[in-house]
Amino acid sequence: MVPVQWYLLLAAAVFCIGLFGILTRQNALLFLMSVELMLNAANINLVAFSAYWGNVTGQTFSLFTMALAAAEVAVGIGIILVLYRNFDDVDVTTAAEMRW
Amino acid sequence: MAGAFDYAPAIVLLPFLSFLVSLAGGKYLPKGGAFGGIAATAGSLVLSAWVFLTVSAGNVYNETLYTWVAGGEATTLAFGLLLDPLAAMMLLIVCLVSLLVHVFSLGYMNDEGETGLPRYYAGLGLFTASMLGFVVADNLLMAFMFFELVGLCSYLLIGFWFREEGPPSAAKKAFLVTRFGDYFFLVGVVAIFATFGTAQFAGEGSFPVLAEEALNAGTTYFGFAPQTWFTIVGLLILGGVIGKSAQFPLHTWLPDAMEGPTPVSALIHAATMVAAGVYLVARMYGFYALSPTALGIIALVGGFTALVAATMGVVKREIKQVLAYSTISQYGYMMLGLGAGGYVAATFHLLTHAFFKALLFLGAGAVIIAMHHDEDMWNMGGLKNKMPVTYYTFLSGSLALAGIVPFAGFWSKDEVLYEALVHGLGGSPLLLAGYAMGLVAVFFTGFYTFRMVFLTFHGEPRSDVARDPHGVRWNVKGPLVVLGVLAATVGFVNMVPVQELTGIHLEYLHDWLAHGEISALTSEHYGELLHDYAHYTSADVASYVAGAMSLALALAGAGAAHVLYNVSDPDEHTEKLGAVKTLWYNNYYQDEYQVWLAESVVLPISRVADKFDQGVVDGVVNGVSSVSLFAGSRIRRVQTGVVTNYAVLLTLGLTALLVVFGLVGGWFA
Repeated sequence: MVPVQWYLLLAAAVFCIGLFGILTRQNALLFLMSVELMLNAANINLVAFSAYWGNVTGQTFSLFTMALAAAEVAVGIGIILVLYRNFDDVDVTTAAEMRW
Repeated sequence: MAGAFDYAPAIVLLPFLSFLVSLAGGKYLPKGGAFGGIAATAGSLVLSAWVFLTVSAGNVYNETLYTWVAGGEATTLAFGLLLDPLAAMMLLIVCLVSLLVHVFSLGYMNDEGETGLPRYYAGLGLFTASMLGFVVADNLLMAFMFFELVGLCSYLLIGFWFREEGPPSAAKKAFLVTRFGDYFFLVGVVAIFATFGTAQFAGEGSFPVLAEEALNAGTTYFGFAPQTWFTIVGLLILGGVIGKSAQFPLHTWLPDAMEGPTPVSALIHAATMVAAGVYLVARMYGFYALSPTALGIIALVGGFTALVAATMGVVKREIKQVLAYSTISQYGYMMLGLGAGGYVAATFHLLTHAFFKALLFLGAGAVIIAMHHDEDMWNMGGLKNKMPVTYYTFLSGSLALAGIVPFAGFWSKDEVLYEALVHGLGGSPLLLAGYAMGLVAVFFTGFYTFRMVFLTFHGEPRSDVARDPHGVRWNVKGPLVVLGVLAATVGFVNMVPVQELTGIHLEYLHDWLAHGEISALTSEHYGELLHDYAHYTSADVASYVAGAMSLALALAGAGAAHVLYNVSDPDEHTEKLGAVKTLWYNNYYQDEYQVWLAESVVLPISRVADKFDQGVVDGVVNGVSSVSLFAGSRIRRVQTGVVTNYAVLLTLGLTALLVVFGLVGGWFA
């Protein structure tokens, strides 16, 4: 059996890739994908610990999280569409109206 | 069975009801709501008479009716009624005078075609109601509230003709000057509450009783000996009295208040506003009697005011001005009487003065109607034959004011002076000084009173209007006759000198005030207090000797006026006084002095205070806020609007939190 540490390392790596994406990309679609990566890193953790403790609650939770992620993507795509309609672009740095 | 005391609240509520009716529906009622006011005050008068009879049967009513702040451990604030002989007597005076003033107003206001009558009668109703509420108040706070209401009503009524120039400013002056005194009164009320925890006038735990106990026990208050502290508190409350009763130096509002309608002047001077001050001292006399210093100051202020006001009355041209100064002077006598330990004497003078001064003002009102609202006495003359009813009633009032035997004012003024004399000779130079000033004022009173009578009614008419005066109707003559008879006879309730000479029992007012169910409110008890705490002792002087002395002076004054002014074409003899006349005519420059005080002393102080406020106080506040403003203007730049920056900040924050938790939690140890 693979020890739980490997899973945690994998999850941390996926999370950091997502975080890196958010901090460096300007395209809103890439933003959305990066957020998905981070969310799935958390899912990996849930499943890994669920297997480690021999308890299926964590896996059930991860199913719910996936459904949640789908809904979140729907909202996110909606926001990106509005962004495109208003700024003719999906670059998040151009939409900087709400500032001081 | 329901007795008089169960209906007693209606005495106050009836005029208040008339106020509401006149205010809401006066313009739909005949005579602008006058009949409602007459009915209400007549009802109050009947109820007051009933209360008077019940009180004379030996009953006293002292109940709390409505508690509006239930204090628990702390102070309880409530409305209540205190109906003892003093209050019952005052109720009768106020109701009667108010009723007659309402009737007289039919002639003075309605018949003269004044507009705004609903406002006028509403004002009269509220004025009467507030004074009655003040009279029956069973605690000092309630008394203070109605005291203020009285002040408000005087403002509304003095400024009744608000479209002219004079009345509004006179109204403002009356309000502000009395408010200045009331400020001290308010502080005094708070001091009473802080000292005793109650402001009840009568009963077991009332503040005069507590004060007496504290004196016996030697309790100290706020680091003061009890008597010193009571003097301070008493003098604070006296501030309100001096303002309302127009005593020196706060008397300046009263002559200006003549700008109001004459019936209102009658009401203010005889029964309501001005009487409130003296009544307050009488009401809490059990407290004042404990402090000889406060009493001495009351007597001195009273005597001084009596003399100063009388001298100013000598030179005035307008009939109402003379009466105004006579009012100030007469209330000075009452204060002198109270300060001199003459509780009954002062109350007696309050009673007689209410009738003869109401009479004189209403008589002056009749003259003013006749003269088509010309008040200058030098344009009058010879009205005696044209308006005999007014003349003879006015004469009755004048004889009472001057203190000529056997009219009402003689008996009461004489008793006031007698009390001041005997207690002064008993070892109080302060009272003796007050007596001396009061005695000199008697001469001036006689002089100005008869100068007024002779100039108005005797001699040849000095103007066309005086040759053909406007007639007056029953609604003017009726009140004059009632008051004229009273002014002549009411003094008979208390003829101490006659009693001493003949041995017939004639001091009914002494009996009336000496006994009662609540022994702490009787004049007997006050006498004991004066003797035990104020150390008043009486010298043995026969009252008829003192009486003869003041009578001689009054006759001398009246005689002087007769010689100088009872001729067909009198000269302005007061001109011969030269600089003194100018000084008196300008009221000792009191108004100018007070304006100077305001402009040259108070205004610079206010300016400095304003500078301090704007510079230092506001400066500190503005400084603090400018720091926030500056910091905000810098820190707000964090909000760039770029989503990525927010994400960076979030990440950095999370990292920082993790590092802190790690350090604190010991992960790196």
